[in-house]
Amino acid sequence: MQTVPKRLAVKLNLARAPQLQPADIMPIFQRWIQQRTVPGMLIDVIDYKHVAEGPGIVLIADEADYAWDLGAGQAGLRYIRKRALPDSLAAALRLCFERAVLAARQLEEEAPGAVVFDFAAAEISFLDRLAYPNEAGVASSTQSALSELLPGLLGTDVTLSRLHDDARYLLAFRCEAGRSLADLMPVSALAG
Amino acid sequence: MTSWKERLQDEIPLEMAKLIDTYEAQMSLRQQGKMDEKVFAEARLRKGVYGQRYDNGQRHDGVRTQALAYPSDDIVKGPDTLWDAPGMQRIKIPYGGLSARQLEVLSELADEYADGILHITTRQDIQLHYVHIDDTPDLMRRLAAVGITTQEACGNSVRNITACALAGVCHDEAFDVSPYADAMTQFLLAHDDVQDFGRKFKVAFSGCAGHACGLVKMHDLGLLAQSREVAGEIQRGFTVFVGGGLGTVPHQAKALADFVTPEELLPLTQAIARVFARLGEKKNRNRARLKFLVAKLGIDEFRRLVEAELEALPHDPRHTAYLESVDDFVYKPAKAGLRLNGAPLPEGFDDWYRSNIYRQAQAGYSVVTLHTPLGDFTAQQGFELADIARKYVGDNIRLTVEQNIVLRWVADADLPALCRDLRKIGLGDAHAGTIVDITTCPGTDTCKLGIASSRGLTAELRTRLIERINLLPDAVRELKIKVSGCFNSCGQHHVADIGFFGNSRRSGNHKLPHFQVVLGGQWQQNAGSYGLAVGAVPAKAVPEVLAALTERYVAERAEDENFQSWVKQLGRKEIKAMLKPFMQLPTFEENPAFFSDWGDSRVYTIEDIGVGECAGEVVSLFSMEISKAESTHFEALLALDDGDWRRADENAYRAMVLAARALVRTKNLDVGDDSDRIVNEFRERFYDTELVYDRFAKGKFARYLFKRHAGQPTRLDEDYAHQVIDETQLFIENIHSAEQRINGVIVG
Repeated sequence: MQTVPKRLAVKLNLARAPQLQPADIMPIFQRWIQQRTVPGMLIDVIDYKHVAEGPGIVLIADEADYAWDLGAGQAGLRYIRKRALPDSLAAALRLCFERAVLAARQLEEEAPGAVVFDFAAAEISFLDRLAYPNEAGVASSTQSALSELLPGLLGTDVTLSRLHDDARYLLAFRCEAGRSLADLMPVSALAG
Repeated sequence: MTSWKERLQDEIPLEMAKLIDTYEAQMSLRQQGKMDEKVFAEARLRKGVYGQRYDNGQRHDGVRTQALAYPSDDIVKGPDTLWDAPGMQRIKIPYGGLSARQLEVLSELADEYADGILHITTRQDIQLHYVHIDDTPDLMRRLAAVGITTQEACGNSVRNITACALAGVCHDEAFDVSPYADAMTQFLLAHDDVQDFGRKFKVAFSGCAGHACGLVKMHDLGLLAQSREVAGEIQRGFTVFVGGGLGTVPHQAKALADFVTPEELLPLTQAIARVFARLGEKKNRNRARLKFLVAKLGIDEFRRLVEAELEALPHDPRHTAYLESVDDFVYKPAKAGLRLNGAPLPEGFDDWYRSNIYRQAQAGYSVVTLHTPLGDFTAQQGFELADIARKYVGDNIRLTVEQNIVLRWVADADLPALCRDLRKIGLGDAHAGTIVDITTCPGTDTCKLGIASSRGLTAELRTRLIERINLLPDAVRELKIKVSGCFNSCGQHHVADIGFFGNSRRSGNHKLPHFQVVLGGQWQQNAGSYGLAVGAVPAKAVPEVLAALTERYVAERAEDENFQSWVKQLGRKEIKAMLKPFMQLPTFEENPAFFSDWGDSRVYTIEDIGVGECAGEVVSLFSMEISKAESTHFEALLALDDGDWRRADENAYRAMVLAARALVRTKNLDVGDDSDRIVNEFRERFYDTELVYDRFAKGKFARYLFKRHAGQPTRLDEDYAHQVIDETQLFIENIHSAEQRINGVIVG
C-alpha cells in the first residue's frame, strides 16, 4: 500500500490565456471566505503576483490552500492539501481532484468566459521529499501506483508522465485524462 | 518509514540536535498542558517560531468578524495564539551568507512547509510564512543538517548578526568584517549571558563609516571597522556603538569605545550583554531595549558599568580562539577574474549594469545584485539560482538589508551571460537600489501588529514607478523609499529619503488606512540620521503624494542638492501645507475605494490587529531553564516508551542536572555546563544550607541527583528506568518549590 504523502497538490491549468489579471482573483477569493464558497476552514488571501512564475494569489486555509497559481508560466488553479489527509493515497488523490475541480468550476462560474480550464489534464505533486523523493525508483513505483488508482478514481483512462527528473524538485506527474474531469465530478456531490 | 530525525541524525551537530529535541519535547508538554503558555511562547520564539495575523482565531472578512475554528481550538502556543494557526518561521542567516546547498534546502522547506515563497528580511534573515508549528522541528533539523539554525531568531535574545553584503570585496572598507561577525555569531549563540534579556538585542557590523550597508548606528550594538598604525604595523579594530534602534522612538547609537581590538571584541560584547541582562528593563517592554538603558544611565555611566563587568568577567578561551582562523576566511571564486571582453550584450544590459553591478576591489570581479520584489522569491527560483551560483560564483551568495540577494565574485567577462541566465528565472531586473527597489515589512499581510498594508502599497508604488523609471531624473531614481505597516519600523522608514508607516484615520463611521509620511532620513553614513514625520495621508493617496514630492524636489532643488537637504530647506510647515490637499478625507459614499487598503478588496478595519510577539514574553531566567529540564525529563519518558533504558537513564540524569543548574544560576550566572561543578555548587548553596529541603522529605529529593551523579547505574532495565524517571520528576518538583521559597516569583 502506498504511503500517504504529507502534502499533496493537484493543479488544473487554463485552456487558454485568462481574460483577467491576477489582481482580479483577489476579490473573488475574499468573497469565497465571506460566503464560505469552497470547503475548508478559510483563513486569508495572500498576493504574490509580483513574483515571477510564483504561487500568484493564494487562498490560505487550515487544511489546504487554493492558489491562482502561475508556476511554470502557466496559470491555473492549484489545490494543495496540507493537513488532515485521508488515510489512503487513493482517498487523498480523490479529495484533491474533487476540490481542485470544484474550485476551478467555481472560478469559471464567477468569471464567465474570462477563465476557461483544461479539465482534460492535471498536475499531481507530492510535497513530501521524505516519503516521495524525486528519484527514479520512487518515481517509477509511484507512477505505477497512480496508473492503477486513477482510472478507478476518475472513471477514465489516464496517461501519466513525470514532470521533472531533477532530484531537488518535487515528485510530480502530468496526468492526461480520457474524458473531462469536470464532467466526472458534479459539484453537488463534492461540497462539504 | 523513517523520520527526518532518523534520516539526518549523523548530519546534525550534537548540540544543535539536542536543542531541537528539547524544543520538540516542550511542544509535547505544552500540548498536554504541562508547560506554562508564556514560557512555551518564549521558548518557541527563541526557535524563530513566530505568530502570524489571525492566530487568535478571528478575522474580519470585510463584512463581519468570522471565527476561525481551528481543529485544536483549546490548545494555545502562547497567550491568545492558537496551536493550529499558521505561523512564521524566521531563519537566521548570519551576515546574510549562504551557500548554494543552503539555498536549495531553504527552497525545499518553502515548498513543503510554507507557501512556496522565501522572504528576505531587513536583517538578512529568511522568513517562511504559513508554517504549522507541528512541522517546525523537522524544518529545523533539515536546516541544521546544512549548518543553519533558527536558534534565537526571535525572542528576547541576540538576533541575527548582520553585516555589509559587500564585506570583503568593498573598495572603502577598513577590512573584511565577515569573520568577526561569524565569530560573534558562534560565541553568542545560546550563550548563558544572552538568556535573560528584557527584549531583543540586535548587532551589526560595518566595514566603513560612509556607506549604509551595515547600519551600525541603528543597532543595539554596532561595530564599525577601523584600522590604525601601531609601531609601523596596521592594527585592526572596531569603533563600538551602543543603544541605537528604530522602533516607535528612534535612537542614534552612542560611541562606547573608539577602538576595540579583535582580542577585546567578544569579552566587551559579553560584558555589555551582562549589563543589559542585569539592569535592562524587564517589566515595561516598551522601554526594555538597550537604547532606553543607555539613555537612562548616560553613555559615561554605561561605559563605567561595562568596564567594571569586563574586569570581573571569567576567562574564556573562546574570546580569542577565533582569531587563529580569521585569516582562513577566504573566498573561493568559481572562476578567474576576467574583464568584459566584447562579447555580445543582451538588450537592456547597460541599465542593469548601471544599477545592479558593483565593481569589486578585486580586479576582474563584480558583485551582482538580484532585485527581489518585496523581498520575495519562489522555491523554484531558489533551485535555479543555486545552479546559477554554482556556475558563476560558487557559494558566494549573500542576502542584503535591502531585501535583495547579491552574487559576489562574478568574473566581469561572465556578466552578459549571467544577466541572461538571471532573466530566465525572473531575477534579472534592473533598477536594484533605485527608487523602485522599495523596502517593506510584512505589514497587514501576515503581521499581527500591522495597521496598513505596507506590501500592498509597495507593490503599487513599484508597479507605477517601473512604468516611468526611464523618464525619472537621476535625482529621483536614486531616492530610497521604505515602508512599514505600523510605527514599529520593521521597514526602516526612519532611514529612507521618503518613508511611510501605517496608521488609520476615521471618516464618518468608517476607518481609512493611512500612511504617515516621514521625510529626510539618511541611509548613508550607516543610517546617519532619522527622518521627520510630516503628516498622515490616506493609503490610496500615497502615489499622488509621492509624485508631488518628487516633482517639486526636481523643480526646486539646487544643483547637486540632495533630498535631505531640500527637505530641511523647505521646512516642515511648508511640507505639511503641500500634503494638506491629500489629507482631505472622502466619505465612504463618495469614494469607497479609499476605504480598502492596497491589494486588499475588503472594507478596511483595524479589528484584526493583535498582540505582537516582537517583544517576546518576559519570563524569568529560571522559568526558561527549568523548562529545559522538564522537556529533557519528557524525552526520558519517550525513551522509556521506546524500551531504550540507557537513553531513558541518560535523559533523566541530564534533566536533574539541568534542574539543579536552573536553581544554581539564580545565584551564580557563571556556573557553566560542567556537571561536576553544577552538582557541587548545588550541594554547597542549596543542600548543605537546607534551602532545598522539603518540609517532610527533607533532603531526599536532592539525594536522587547526588546518587545518580556518583556513578552509572549497576543495572539498566525497565524497573530501573521507571525509578530514575520518577525520581527525576520528584527532584524537578522539589526545585520548583525551592525556587518559589527562595526567590518568590517564577513567571514574570
